[in-house]
Amino acid sequence: MVQFTQVQHYPESVLAERAGYFPVPGAHLYTVLHEVEAPLARVLLIGSFASERHTSYRPWLQWARYLAARRIEVLRFDYRGVGESTGVFQEMTFDCWVEDVEHLSRWLRKREGDAPLLVHGLEMGGILGAKAFHHGEADGLLLWSAPVNANKVLRSTLQRWIGPQQLRKPEEDRRPPSHYFRLLDAGQSVEVDGYEWSGELWRQSLGFELPATMIPPNDPAISYRRPVRMVQLGKSAAPLVLGGLLQGFEESKDFSWLFAPNYEWITTSLGIPLEAT
Amino acid sequence: MISDKVETRQLITLGADGVLVRGTYHEVPGEAQDGSHPRSKNIGVVFLNPLSTPRTLIGDSGVDWASSFAAQGYPSVRFDLPGLGDSYGEVAKDLVTFINEAGFAAIAASKVREFTQTFGLPGAVIYGHCAGAVTAVYAAAKCKECKGLIITDPYFNAANMLTPKLSPGMVDWARRSKVGEVLRAVYVRIREARKKQGNGTLPGNANVSLVTHWKKLVSSGLPILVFKSGEPAALGSGKLRAGSFDYLEHIASFGGHRSQLSIKTIEGTNHSFADRVGRAAIREHAEAWLNKHFPTAQTAAVLANLGFSTPMTDANIATRAPAPVSRGE
Repeated sequence: MVQFTQVQHYPESVLAERAGYFPVPGAHLYTVLHEVEAPLARVLLIGSFASERHTSYRPWLQWARYLAARRIEVLRFDYRGVGESTGVFQEMTFDCWVEDVEHLSRWLRKREGDAPLLVHGLEMGGILGAKAFHHGEADGLLLWSAPVNANKVLRSTLQRWIGPQQLRKPEEDRRPPSHYFRLLDAGQSVEVDGYEWSGELWRQSLGFELPATMIPPNDPAISYRRPVRMVQLGKSAAPLVLGGLLQGFEESKDFSWLFAPNYEWITTSLGIPLEAT
Repeated sequence: MISDKVETRQLITLGADGVLVRGTYHEVPGEAQDGSHPRSKNIGVVFLNPLSTPRTLIGDSGVDWASSFAAQGYPSVRFDLPGLGDSYGEVAKDLVTFINEAGFAAIAASKVREFTQTFGLPGAVIYGHCAGAVTAVYAAAKCKECKGLIITDPYFNAANMLTPKLSPGMVDWARRSKVGEVLRAVYVRIREARKKQGNGTLPGNANVSLVTHWKKLVSSGLPILVFKSGEPAALGSGKLRAGSFDYLEHIASFGGHRSQLSIKTIEGTNHSFADRVGRAAIREHAEAWLNKHFPTAQTAAVLANLGFSTPMTDANIATRAPAPVSRGE
């Protein structure tokens, strides 16, 4: 059994994790900088959407630690209005989330020590990262399971959430997902997993898409002349991706099969000699 | 530019015992650490992770409750236990069994102690949801600084005894699917009903150690507030409901005259209590309960003026007059 009552020995990279509140207009973003001395590269991690945050949290953090232990400085954060960040979720828009990503990437790029910057987005974070990259904010882009548009994430989140909720309701009060989609289409807000989705967020999600240059058959690496890697993760990558977490049983899952090749791609595409890491 | 403090929230690390945990402290508005305002002398509230959910809790409900409790005069902290959220550490392969066997109890108790010492508080109430409730109960027994418990949707079973008998594929399906959820719940209830052998006898799959800890805490007179979400309508068969063992009733029956166990059932919410109904109910009832058992200086002054009560001190927490078990349904 793991014992937590004795003095632990922590890796240096863990002791160098700095949590803080990053000011953006009208709010403060919760950020954790995995600080590295003389970094070989920097990575801005943009995690998954509100409801998926807590299930994907541990593997996402493990990925940050994996990179930091290999001299890649990492900044991760909570979306405005979500998690530890301030702001009211119901008032959020995709545009303000993109602006936040751009604020963070500019800050990270300006840090001392010249190092290439890569933006890495997971699921909804993939679209946010892709938009920032499209605007010229980074030297490279890595996407894990980025949807073509944000509405796909909202739909699948609502569909998955509604099942267990129905069990708690009397039969006459149960509604199919299409009922909630209609409410949102009509501009009403719907509460999903403790988050109040506004009709406006839903409307915006329909047009919030990956840049066309990133959608096959286009080759983004050719369009941008900067490295881009898009990976579609399968069920085996749960709980990083939609599909949820078997809470209590999957927390210790080993993701080295995913981390190693993606790390290798980062070093190769950004021209970092492997021996330097 | 980046700060560890915003509004009434402050990011903290507790590590006096050599184990670092990261958390968020919610100070009482008007309280400052530079000495310009006195620090709160009210009791604090400590939030624990439910299973592996980070310290914000589902839907960030923990942030709301902690802010709200702090605004009412109860400084609150939400921290991530080792290996969870932002805190570094290994995570047990079978986290449920680890928690059920009090794996986090010692470190949770140590951190409650450190929190109260660091912030100069007379004690703390531990808030635990689901698996967090298991840790809260074990930790409370280990730490004299724990002056009360707020528990939401507790469970009392040991590890799932069905799991080893089925193929991994079946287990995976039963855990992930909607139909599987109903079947699991039905199975557990039938088994409990079958194993119930008479009054006072626990079902075969009970976590006996946990139930024993509950009984000790209840009979010691520790104020405990339990919230239950309503039963899923899909499990509404009268026979099944009748067959399910009522652990809280069983525990309450051992409470004796010192018991300060209050139980409230919140209808129309879900297991996380993160929806509008659940959030509001927890906020309202928990704050009223905190005020009743641990009146803030302001409340105590008002009550004293009316000739009702005295402010909380370490001494009168221990000797507080017993209150009857209340069932709030």
